[in-house]
Amino acid sequence: MNISLNHYLLLSALLFAIGFFGVLLRKNTLVIYMCLELMLTASTLALVAFSRYNGTMDGNVFVFFILTVAAAEVAVGLAIIVALFRLRQTAQVDELNALKH
Amino acid sequence: MFAAMTPELLQAAAASNQWGAIFPELALGCLALLLLVLEILLPKSAHARIPVVAILGQLVLLAVLLWNFAPTGLERDTFNGLLHHSRDGQFMRAFFLVSSILVCLLGTVALAKQKLPRVEFYHLVLVVTAAMMLLAQSNHFVLLFVALETVTVGFYILVSYFRASPLSLEAGLKYLIMGALSSALLLFGIVLLYGVAGNPALPGHTAEAMNFNALNAFLAANPDNFLAKAGIVLVLAGVAFKIGAFPFQIWIPDVYQGAPTPVTAFLAVASKAAGFAVLLVLTLRAFAPYATLTVPILSVLAAATILFGNIAALTQHNVKRLIGLSGVSHAGFLLIGVVAAVSTPLALGAVYFYLAAYLLATFAVFGVMTHVAGANDAEQELDHYAGLARDNPFLAAVLAVGLGSLAGIPPLAGFMGKLFVFIAAFKAGLYPLLTVAIVGVVISIYYYFGWIKAAFFEAWRAPLQEGEIDDRPARTPVAWPAGVTLGLLALCTVLLGFYQGSFGEWLLTR
Repeated sequence: MNISLNHYLLLSALLFAIGFFGVLLRKNTLVIYMCLELMLTASTLALVAFSRYNGTMDGNVFVFFILTVAAAEVAVGLAIIVALFRLRQTAQVDELNALKH
Repeated sequence: MFAAMTPELLQAAAASNQWGAIFPELALGCLALLLLVLEILLPKSAHARIPVVAILGQLVLLAVLLWNFAPTGLERDTFNGLLHHSRDGQFMRAFFLVSSILVCLLGTVALAKQKLPRVEFYHLVLVVTAAMMLLAQSNHFVLLFVALETVTVGFYILVSYFRASPLSLEAGLKYLIMGALSSALLLFGIVLLYGVAGNPALPGHTAEAMNFNALNAFLAANPDNFLAKAGIVLVLAGVAFKIGAFPFQIWIPDVYQGAPTPVTAFLAVASKAAGFAVLLVLTLRAFAPYATLTVPILSVLAAATILFGNIAALTQHNVKRLIGLSGVSHAGFLLIGVVAAVSTPLALGAVYFYLAAYLLATFAVFGVMTHVAGANDAEQELDHYAGLARDNPFLAAVLAVGLGSLAGIPPLAGFMGKLFVFIAAFKAGLYPLLTVAIVGVVISIYYYFGWIKAAFFEAWRAPLQEGEIDDRPARTPVAWPAGVTLGLLALCTVLLGFYQGSFGEWLLTR
């Protein structure tokens, strides 16, 4: 069986959907954070597939920028989660509701 | 298949890298680094001068920018089409620089009430400002994404800057999750557009699929492509998060309340304006051939945003949540301007004028809020303003002018901003949106005047029992730099309402 562009796009869309609904439905901050990274990975996969099938290098270069940005985001995000855990002793989003609704 | 890297190609690429064209951004970045170096080199006793260096450096940069406001070769692409320089870009540069100066000034007032490292705050504000300047002038999706993420990651740190306060950290976490979610939506939209615009099977496919001009040409050749439509919707959703438009506004009240007050001001003014600069570039340039798709989406967003922002603000007692939700409704009014700008060029100037009036009024209000706030930055209630007019008539007057301008009371700048946007919308024939907007203005007057009333008329309070402590923060005296700035902001708000002069003419003629 040949793996075509559509297979890559289907996988990418599935990963993106898993990440998206994970962010909306999961309760643990760290799992939510993994889902956010999953969404970025899904975009990266689609980008590389498009780049290969369209025959342009832009997509491959963009992937490096996305990786860098994701690394920066993880560094800041984990720092915030750790600092919040030290103050509140919890990483569950439904217990982090001190700000008024 | 891939273009060979010939020496001629490399030379052409190097020639289009005109570093002089991004002098303000480079200077801001260098100033930001200088602040960190000064912190290492200077003795501890001299650290109080570092914010002064930051503010003076930016004032000099602003003077240089205004002095050379229309450099030769405006309206051109540099850096191989990554950036597009225009007079709107120049305006946004000056706009971001002014708001950054004001945020630094508010920072000196607010940080004095906390025990925290100081210098990093100014460093981050400068870096974020430079990234916003690049964002407003981007002409390529790679630069747009990288600049947007620099702004967003910088804001994650700034929002959770009061790291001893669980509220500030919680706001940071909420901003982080929602911000990363919207960035991922935006990125997936960019990927879809890149994939479809480079597809060799489609007519007019392009090798430069992420360049806005090339994308525009491709979309014009393929007026009804499903993947392109999906990509455009995802990109607009990502931008709608930045401006706080209706379904993406859920983060606003919590994040605005928890963030340090100067950062809230920065979010409310500069971040929102950056979102609108991007939205204008995208709808008017890159996505212009798909106006039949973008206009209905943005119109629905505008109407829902105005109604939601104003109705949700009615019940708020915390002033930071109140100003956040009122900011949501201002995003709605600005969206009307963006929709009108698709068919009426006048609306573009109206949007920029509205942003300028919004900057003056919002910073006047936030300046007063920073002074009234106590050490607990997240709890700023309406009844903390009781008796402000008696204790400090100056602050109360500035507050009244700022809120009046935000509400759109006739002689003030905010009224003229709304008027220009409404005239543009009328010329574009957006009558249903105008009706919603006028209903929104009427509702907004109620809560703005509730705030003014809290400051000017004393409500009855039960006398304090023996041993009971007054939970309202003590009044902070106004130092002269902050006082002069607040006075200037209020004065400009009044003057710009009476007389738009060459500034209005420059903005509105095109």
